[in-house]
Amino acid sequence: MKTKTESKRQAIIQAAAEVFREVGFERASMSDIRERIGGSKATLYNYFPSKEKLFFEVMHQAKELELEAITGELDADADDLKRKLVHFGQKFMTALYSPDAIAVRRLAIAESRHSDIGRLSFEQATVPIEKRVAEFLRETMKRGALRTADPKMAAIHLLSLLESELLNRVLLGVIDAVKPESLSGAVRRAVDVFLYGYERR
Amino acid sequence: MSKSDSKRQAILENAYRLFRAQGFDGTSMADITSQVGGSKATLYSHFPSKEELFVECMMAALENYMSDTLKHLDASRSDPQAALRNFGTSVLNFICSPEQVEVRRLMIAEAARSGTGKLFFDKITALRSHVSSFLAECMASGMLRRDDPDLAADHLGALLEAEILEPLLLHVREAAPDEQETALAARRAVAAFLRAYAPAVPPIKAPTGADAHVRRAHPNER
Repeated sequence: MKTKTESKRQAIIQAAAEVFREVGFERASMSDIRERIGGSKATLYNYFPSKEKLFFEVMHQAKELELEAITGELDADADDLKRKLVHFGQKFMTALYSPDAIAVRRLAIAESRHSDIGRLSFEQATVPIEKRVAEFLRETMKRGALRTADPKMAAIHLLSLLESELLNRVLLGVIDAVKPESLSGAVRRAVDVFLYGYERR
Repeated sequence: MSKSDSKRQAILENAYRLFRAQGFDGTSMADITSQVGGSKATLYSHFPSKEELFVECMMAALENYMSDTLKHLDASRSDPQAALRNFGTSVLNFICSPEQVEVRRLMIAEAARSGTGKLFFDKITALRSHVSSFLAECMASGMLRRDDPDLAADHLGALLEAEILEPLLLHVREAAPDEQETALAARRAVAAFLRAYAPAVPPIKAPTGADAHVRRAHPNER
């Protein structure tokens, strides 16, 4: 078996990203992807044992770029805390509720018992964001702008409040696409309620 | 009950027992047939697939659970905090049980294809409306600040699920939480919720001099 190269790996991911974008996950096949890059099916499977793994990799690369974009502005200077949280919430929700991200999340849950996609998605997407938000909240608490509490728990509460109005509706397929105005409304209401509970009073 | 209804009921009961004991993957339609008796064709005439049978079973479980859980909210109007904690613990015990985690996975997996996700969501909404009316009463009595009770119910639900549900759904953890863990998670969630919906109070004047001892305890300190 030939040794795997990073450039080949990237070429496959690139081709897969195009195919997934064009026809969606369900209708995309490993053959479609192979056709685009050439080479044998065996080679493709040697790099990625399943369409799910490949899909996850595509999404993950997009996410890594996103993580910095989403959390980049969370630095604990004395700027308006509410404005900062709303801004963060808006980016977080926009990234999480794009049709692609919803597809990947459904897949991660559906396949979690048969593959490690669920674990990968938790470790590489959920946890890093949670950590970054917790750090920010810890600094903000130190600065005195929030009451002292367990920052990790506060981060989990903030993130789940942000999702509270949309999560079940979207995952269970009650609504297909989230309107920008319901998204920003949900973010505003979640940040308000979070601050009401965590601000010093 | 017609003959067909009683057959359907027998299928549901046996299937539910098997699903609980062996899990979704570990239970086959043949297993269910052999428990209920009759032919596989009869089974399939009632339920066209194992998925649909599973969803039906779990809907029935959800109905039973709802009436039990909502008792917590009706029972102790005198102590809303305790009512919310007991309710929250009961919600978590149910939704974190292996079969409910499995049913939610299935609903989410099938959401794009079938309408079962919507059915399940309707049940959740029905439960939420009970919670909203309880919260509306708490708002009316001044125990919580006034806000949209439906929104408050969404926030309460999200806080309850915040710690445990996602790791279970993503199979990062396998073992269902025990009663102690769910009680603690519910306690933290309800505490966060009550703070976030605490009634606005005028700032308490710092006690000074001779009348310091007559300062009344803030309601939340009692």
